[in-house]
Amino acid sequence: MLQLNEVCAGYGGEDVVKDVSLGLGAGECLAVIGPNGCGKTTLLRAIARILPFRGKIAVCGEEIRDMPPRRLAAKVAMLSQISGAYFSYSVYETVMMGRYAHIKGGLLGSQTAEDKEVTADCLRTVGLWEERERQITELSGGQLQRVFLARTLAQQPKLLLLDEPTNHLDLKHQAELVDYLKSWVSGGERAVVGVFHDINLALRLGGGLMVMSEGRMQAIGDPREIISGPLLGEVYQMDVARHMAEALEFWRHPNYRRHLTCSELPGKR
Amino acid sequence: MRVKLTAASLAAGFVLLAGVGIGSVLIPPSEILHIIGSRLLGRELSGAIDPSFAPILWNLRLPRALLAFIAGAALSVSGAVMQSVLRNPLASSYTIGVSSGASLGAAIIIFFGAGLPLAGLARNFALPLVGFAFGMGTIVLVLAFARRVDSAMQTGTLILTGMVFSLFVSALTTLLSALAREQIQRLVLWQMGSFAMRDWQPVLILAPVALAGIIFALCRSRELDIMTFGEEPARAMGVNLSQVKWSMLIMAAALTGSVVAFVGVIGFVDLVAPHIVRKLFGASHRYVIPMSAVVGGGFMVVCDLVARTIISPGELPVGAVTAIIGGPFFAYIYFSKRGGTRV
Repeated sequence: MLQLNEVCAGYGGEDVVKDVSLGLGAGECLAVIGPNGCGKTTLLRAIARILPFRGKIAVCGEEIRDMPPRRLAAKVAMLSQISGAYFSYSVYETVMMGRYAHIKGGLLGSQTAEDKEVTADCLRTVGLWEERERQITELSGGQLQRVFLARTLAQQPKLLLLDEPTNHLDLKHQAELVDYLKSWVSGGERAVVGVFHDINLALRLGGGLMVMSEGRMQAIGDPREIISGPLLGEVYQMDVARHMAEALEFWRHPNYRRHLTCSELPGKR
Repeated sequence: MRVKLTAASLAAGFVLLAGVGIGSVLIPPSEILHIIGSRLLGRELSGAIDPSFAPILWNLRLPRALLAFIAGAALSVSGAVMQSVLRNPLASSYTIGVSSGASLGAAIIIFFGAGLPLAGLARNFALPLVGFAFGMGTIVLVLAFARRVDSAMQTGTLILTGMVFSLFVSALTTLLSALAREQIQRLVLWQMGSFAMRDWQPVLILAPVALAGIIFALCRSRELDIMTFGEEPARAMGVNLSQVKWSMLIMAAALTGSVVAFVGVIGFVDLVAPHIVRKLFGASHRYVIPMSAVVGGGFMVVCDLVARTIISPGELPVGAVTAIIGGPFFAYIYFSKRGGTRV
């Protein structure tokens, strides 16, 4: 599905991503983690050809460098980190924009029944069908993120690139999104590459894990092997295992469990 | 939506009739339509109509009102496109140097035109032609410079480059003005904008230019919608960003440049009309482009009507009127709904 060979990309002539090579098969998910500024977003931008790159990137066996923009967008879609909405479109109009790569008829092409059906499906998937007439400037950050996710899904890509997709989402929607992504690839024809800061969500995605640091891929493979080794501690320059264990201990502490069952949360007593 | 679209179009038609009918001589709408009909169909005028109405209407008021409508429509569409492409609600062709470039061209012709070896048509059209060429030349320089310093031509780079060039070119105009003080008044009046003393020629030149620009922008309405969300999402959705951005910037600059060349610098309408349209009809460019033309055209006709009647027989600069009427109206429309949220 996705093949990267010695890919370098960056800004102003300086490489931020250095010599990354990897392969991702259909039906697979890959979670990318790493400290801030390590090149995770730059890597996604290169795969979506938003940034120029050196090396080779192929999607579904076809090199993306010379692919026409709409043809590429019908295969690869990217959900960027949320940016504000400058002008007020309805939720429905915004998601329909995701159909741009599929609209036929050139400049004068119009929406088909299929475009409308896909848009409606995507809105239902993110739970915003009832909100379709609302203006996006009236939405919360989490709702807007779901609108943009629906717009990305409306592209019906083979490869979905997600840059910190759970930002702005509440806990329930974070878990639902990750579970949805797992089901989205389960048909065996699609793949997901997601950048996460939350290691728990990265693990919940259930696919491979890739660790980046200083623009280079430090490890890729089975998440259990990676998190049980010393790499994360070196990359994040902290005791990640202890940090996770402390969080787990907090959840398991009998006083905290009592608070949960009695609704005696701190500050409410 | 259809009701709103029809109402706005009818209002613009009504305003156009008012612009043609109101003046030192009042011509009723029925007689306006009769005179225009007779003229177009080559029929004799009815005896019931004052014979002095026809030349006033056909030679003075109609070309002036149509020129005002076309100029307002072109400036508004240009503003709507610039705001979307540059993702900045305050952007316009003026922001990236069209008017300062055109003003420099106009200053050169006004100050030194008499000494240039021009004859016939070239002499008649020297001011608009040179104004247009300098306006477009400035835009091309801005785009080329922006591309050199930032190959992705990001919005911030474009706006800043435009402002730098605009200030630089304005400084050249000021220098020229200091060297030829006796012509300053003519240049200042030109810069204020006016539709006075215009015959059919500018109408016949501007109309097809404006129509082509509006149709071109309308054909790109889907891309313009997507581009309002930023360059990264637009690329990811398959928009050929550099091609669309270049063509839209050049088209918007050409629309403004053509108007400025014929009627001078008229500000504000390109900012006000698209915002009012987005507030009334939503942000989709399928509506924003044609309705900016209708609302901007109608607004300009009203401003010109006020400019030529309020201190009659004198006349105010129409650029001042667009700001005086447009400012409070814009504030009312913009802040009256949804507690002042951004469009």
